Order: sequence, then structure tokens, then C-alpha cells
Amino acid sequence: MIATTEQLQPGHGKNAKLQLRNITKQFGNGEQAVVAVDDCSLDIHEGEFVVVVGPSGCGKSTLMTVAAGLEEPTAGDVLLDGIPAGPPGPRRSVVFQKFALFPSETVQQNIKFGLQMTGVPADEQERRLAEQLKVMGLEQFRKAYPSELSGGMQQRVAIARALVMQPETLLMDEPFGALDAQTRTILQEQVQRLHREQNYTVMFITHSVEEAVYLGDRVIVMTKRPGKIKKEIQLPRDVVWKTGDIEQAAEHKDFIEARREIWALVREEIVAG
Amino acid sequence: MIIDTLLSHFGVTSNRAKATAYGTITLLTLLLVWIMSTSMFQLIEPRVLPSPSTVVSKYIQIITEPFSGLTLDGHIYESVRRWGWGVFFAMIIGIPVGVMFAWVPWFRTLTYPIFELLHFIPPFAYIPLAVLWFGASTATQAMVVFVAAFPAFVINSELGVSQVDKIYVDAARVFGAKRFATLRRVVIPAAAPSIFQGLRIAISNGWMALVGAELVVGKVGLGFMISQGQENASVSTIFVGLITIGVLGAVIDNIIQRSERWILPWRRNVTVNNG
Amino acid sequence: MLRSASINRFLLGIGAVGVWIVLWWWLTRPTGPVPSLYFPSPDAVWTKFVRMWTRPYIGSTLLEHIFSSLYIVLSGWTLGALVGIPLGIVMAWWPKVKWIVFPVFQLIRPVPPLAWIPLTILWLGIGDAARMSVVFIAALVPWLMNSMLAVYSIDKVLIDAGRTLGANDRQILTRIVCRTALPTLVAAARMALGSAWSTLVAAEILAATAGLGYVTVNASQLLDTDILVVAMLTIGLLGIAMTACIQMTQRFLAPWSVRQAPTS
Repeated sequence: MIATTEQLQPGHGKNAKLQLRNITKQFGNGEQAVVAVDDCSLDIHEGEFVVVVGPSGCGKSTLMTVAAGLEEPTAGDVLLDGIPAGPPGPRRSVVFQKFALFPSETVQQNIKFGLQMTGVPADEQERRLAEQLKVMGLEQFRKAYPSELSGGMQQRVAIARALVMQPETLLMDEPFGALDAQTRTILQEQVQRLHREQNYTVMFITHSVEEAVYLGDRVIVMTKRPGKIKKEIQLPRDVVWKTGDIEQAAEHKDFIEARREIWALVREEIVAG
Repeated sequence: MIIDTLLSHFGVTSNRAKATAYGTITLLTLLLVWIMSTSMFQLIEPRVLPSPSTVVSKYIQIITEPFSGLTLDGHIYESVRRWGWGVFFAMIIGIPVGVMFAWVPWFRTLTYPIFELLHFIPPFAYIPLAVLWFGASTATQAMVVFVAAFPAFVINSELGVSQVDKIYVDAARVFGAKRFATLRRVVIPAAAPSIFQGLRIAISNGWMALVGAELVVGKVGLGFMISQGQENASVSTIFVGLITIGVLGAVIDNIIQRSERWILPWRRNVTVNNG
Repeated sequence: MLRSASINRFLLGIGAVGVWIVLWWWLTRPTGPVPSLYFPSPDAVWTKFVRMWTRPYIGSTLLEHIFSSLYIVLSGWTLGALVGIPLGIVMAWWPKVKWIVFPVFQLIRPVPPLAWIPLTILWLGIGDAARMSVVFIAALVPWLMNSMLAVYSIDKVLIDAGRTLGANDRQILTRIVCRTALPTLVAAARMALGSAWSTLVAAEILAATAGLGYVTVNASQLLDTDILVVAMLTIGLLGIAMTACIQMTQRFLAPWSVRQAPTS
């Protein structure tokens, strides 16, 4: 059931939406230089949910930062629809691990932020805001400040802020890393559901193999630093286990096997240190 | 100790209550000593230390009869007015300069050294220069207040902006904000607590400078009152001035502190819970 | 480039100052918008500066004025330390003492030190003592507050560690508390000096016959703007020099606490 890149299912035969071509990122110069990412190439197709896993410090977050345009790669290009992607923007919306909600703005101001920056008309802003508040269950927190919300709620707002832009691609940098296990489970299920309903193009970074198998259509395993792509694992798309939450999925035979295979790969990299 | 057992008798057990009790007792004791050494037993010459009753009657005198043309509230008004102008200008120039120091690198490279150098000249050293330029007028004192309040605004604004977590700037960029919009909607609000702290320091520095400036030059104001007291060898007048200055300074700081909740409403609940 | 970053910064700083001096010169040039009465040109300032080393101004040369000011400020500052540090440590260590002394202190604190000058003049006359006492008051506040803060900020864990290793109260105080408190004390030294220096200048404007503050007020009355500016710059430069001394002492006494200046 578990296919590798050699046995690619033709499901996503379209052109790649987001392309990372030979990305290398180096920090510092000379002797103190650190190569975080070494010649990584990755194509993400429209509607695909790609998850990048790897040991701590392997450069997966850096890869995403470059993909988002927040850092310039030392070498290589980032292409969106075949054209150089340029500076960061709402076409590559980001959900950060540390939430990054603007503390001086209310929930609704935060969510509307991108809409205001890109000049969306006011009535459209309201419409989309109302929609997101409903979907993410934030209606009663419209006027709250981030400091008044729990971590889980804050991340919901951050997701809403990204989704309200109707982004062409969604980049998520270990978004559930700062949350407790229960909140994490609920949000994972929610993201899963949203993806199935709306068919977002997603690049998702995590260190949790379980999360990767649960959420991803394709899992990319990275080596330890300097990070290269070790292996790509294709996962079947419309499988039973992806309709429940992660606890239910974890009982499925195929899930267990995929997890085992991917974890073995990651473990190799951790131990090879 | 004896006092402790006495206090617990009255139900005063917590540390905070004890501190207040000790404090009150000390102040009352000092007051008592003051009264005893002056009005009661006349141990100290009235020329050196007036009795509390003399000070009180002086207060009443200055409130009702004009002292060098103004009653007490008139002098207070004059002092506060000059201080207000100085702080105002320091704020509208200082905060932008501080923000630019952190936001526009070439500006900092060019201007910071000269700012640092001028910072080392104490505000009072500007008094003779101000007098030369403006004579004995409001502008003189306001200028001294400006010099005293300006650095706090600049330094704290710069600090606030430079310490804003890069991730907020990243998030703003991702969601399409241009440079100035990022500054206005994200960075400055994030720096606001620090800027506010600068306001508190600037206000207090300005107040100190004002009093000094009025001591040296001028014909009205609380500082002037004190120097007049010295010239007339009226220690009670000096006391009236000192007490008023102290009380006003504390009141102003208190007001500012309380207004933080109103100006920065999102700081109400700063501790973030996770999950 | 073989030059280190901090030397580069220094040179850049000098360059920036140079730009402003050029601007200064251009504004105050003979046909320029700023008349020499209001502000002297750089060369006038330099000339006067050089002359004041040898030719007395109001009775003393520049050096003598400098010494007069330094004498008062350093005495007051030292006295402030001698009283403030022990008192602050004691207040922080024994809460009862704090409860007694602090309220009195809080009453006195909002009053600017300079405001005490008329009182001290009445009590002590126009002499060194009046100015020294005002400078003392100015320095006392930072010394006291920071000494208290230094003691409070000592991590209790360190004290517990000392106790388990057999140290008694006095040993803990001297070896652990005082050592860890050193950087805060150095910060106190800087703040106290700033406050003292500022107050001194004003005190000299009011009640002195020598010293840099006195020079400024005299120059102002005689409309000698160039001498005024020389005095102001000297005051500033002395402030820089004294602060630099304190920073060097910090590097020597508490090298672990020296922080890098923020990069521009």
C-alpha cells in the first residue's frame, strides 16, 4: 500500500504549484559558516499536502522559511507557477510555530490584517472574516486580544488569518509544536478536514512522524544538518484512516507500517550524529 | 520584638501590613520629633527649622495671598505649563528619532554619535545658553525640560523597536504589509510598552530639570518660590515649595502609571497560557 | 579588511561627528544664518579652548575650574557611595530596617536634589559644603536603590548553596552577595555619577565662585558665547571621561558582566 517515489500514483500529474529548485542555505561566512540546507529540490503540486520531517536542527524550518521568501537562499530558486516567487506575500501564507499574532490587535483585526494590506473591499473582508470565525470556532472571541487566549485558540486565529487570504499555497512551520497534546489532536483533525474540503496546497513542517503520516499525501524525510532530502514517501490519498482523528488512525495497519518505515529513516539520521 | 507582638495584637501579621505599620509609625515619630523640637520645646531655632504649624500657616498664606504676583495655584500652573511644553516637544521629536534609530540603519550611523555626545552635557548646563537665547521667559525653562526629557524618549523608543520579535515583522511581510505599514501597525504597537516606559522616565527627568531651571532663572513657579525663600531667609517658604514639588511629582507619576491600562489595553492579560 | 568591527564602528562614529561639525561650521560661518552671538563657530570655540588653558578666566585657568568641579562632584559621589551602599545592603537584608527607612526615603525622593540648594545655602552658607551636600543627595538615591536591587536580585539558590557548604551569614554576605552584586553596583556608580554631575553643574550656576558651571553662567551674563560653549563641551567631555573610567573599572572588577554595545 505504501508507495515510494518510483511508483508514483498519477493522481497529481499537474504542473508543480510551488517549486524549490536546488535550494542551499548557508548562514555565516568562512570558518563559522553553517550550511542548514544543502541542495534540496522539492515540487509541490496543486492540492497536495506535503509534509517535511527530520531530526531536530536538520534545516526543515529553514527550508520553509526560504520557500516562504522570508530568507534568500544562498543558491537555488523558489518558483510559484513556474515564475520566480520573489518577496514574501499572501500567495504563500504562513502559520508560524510561535503563532506570531499581533499582540496589539484583536482577533478580528489580526484575521483581517492581510485583507487590509492587499486592499480587499470592506464588505468582502467582513464576509470572509465571518466565514473564518465560524469555521475555526472563534465567533465569541472576535474582540479578544491574543494575550487573553490560550495557545490553542491563538493558533486557530493564526490559521484563520492565513486561510482568510484564500492562499494559493499554505506553509505551516511546526504549527502545533507549542501546544499540549489534546489541543494538538483536535487541531490536526481540523487541518485534515479543511484540506479535504478545500483542497489547499500545503507545505507542512513537523518533527512528529505520526503527524506526518496522518496529515500528509507525501512525506519528505530530511537528513541531519546539512539537510538534504533523504527520501520521499508517497502515501495513499483517500484512505479510511484520514477521516477520523489521529488516535483512530494510529490503530490502522497501514498507518502503523508507514509510521514504522518513516520513523526508521528519521532515526537513522538522529543516530548518525 | 516588642513592636511585632504589639502589632499582631491588632491583627497585623502579614509582611505587607507590617511594612505599612512600621512606615506609618516611623513617619508619625518623625512628625512628633519635629513638633517637639520646634513648637513645644523650641530646641531648634525657627530660622533653621520652622515648626509644622509655621509651615502650614505659610501654606495657607501662599494659597490666599499672592507671592510675587501669584498665589500657590498660579505658581503650580506656571511650573506645570513650562514642563508640559518641554515634554511635549521632547516627545514629538524624541519618539520618531528613537524609532528611526532602530528602523533606519543609515540614520542611526549618522546621528547617533552626535546624540551620545550631547547626551553627556547635563540639562542644567544648557540653562545659561537658554538664558542667552530667550532671556528669562517660559521658553528658557521649556528648553531645559526638553533637553532633560529628550534622551529618555529616544533611548526607550529605540530599545522598544529594536527588541520587537522578528517573527512579527515576518508575519506582517507574509500578509502583504509594506515597510511603513509594518512599522505603523505592528512594530510601533509592539514597542509601545517600552516607549511608554520612556515617557515615564522623561516626565520625571523633565520635572527635575524644571525645578532646577526655575531655581536659577525666572520670576514665577515653584522653583522660583524656593529660591525666593532662600533670599528672604524664609525656610518655611522653602518647605512649602519642596513639599509641593515632591507631592506633584508623585501625583504625576501615579497618573501616568494608571493611564497605561487605558493607552495599552492589550496588555491587560500579558501572561500567555499554552494549550 | 583586517580592522575589527568595533574599530570600524569607532571610525564611522568619528566620521559622523565630522559631518555634523562641518554642518556646524557652515551654519555659523561669517555670512551664515547663525550670528556668532547666538552660537560660535567651531574655530572660535577651539581658539578659546586653547587660550583658557593658560589665560585665567574669572580668576582661574580652565584646568583650575575643572579641578574645582571635579573635587566637589567626586566628594559628593563618594560620600553617597559610603552611605548609600551599606544602607542599601542593610535595608535589603533586614526587612525591618527597610520598613523604617524606606518611607522617609520615598518622601524625599521626588524632590529634585537641586531643590535642596536654597536650604543648604541657608544652613551652611555659600561654600563648598552646600554644593557638596546637594551632590551627595543626588548621588545617594541611585547608590541606595541599586544596592538594594543588587541584593534582591541575588538568586536565592546561590545563598542556599553557600549555606550547604557551611558559610555563615557574614561570609555569605561578603563572598556571594557582594560579588554577584558587583555589576549592579557598577550601574549604580554610573547613574549616581550622572546625577551628581548634573546636579553639580546646576549648583555651581547658583552658588559658586569657580568651577565649570560657574564659568557658563558668567559667560552667559557677559555674552561670551564662545566661552560658554567651551565650558559646555568640557562638561560633556568630562562626563564621557568619567563614565569611561567606570566602564574600565567594570571590565577589571567584573569581567564576566561586560556587555557588548548594541550594534548600529
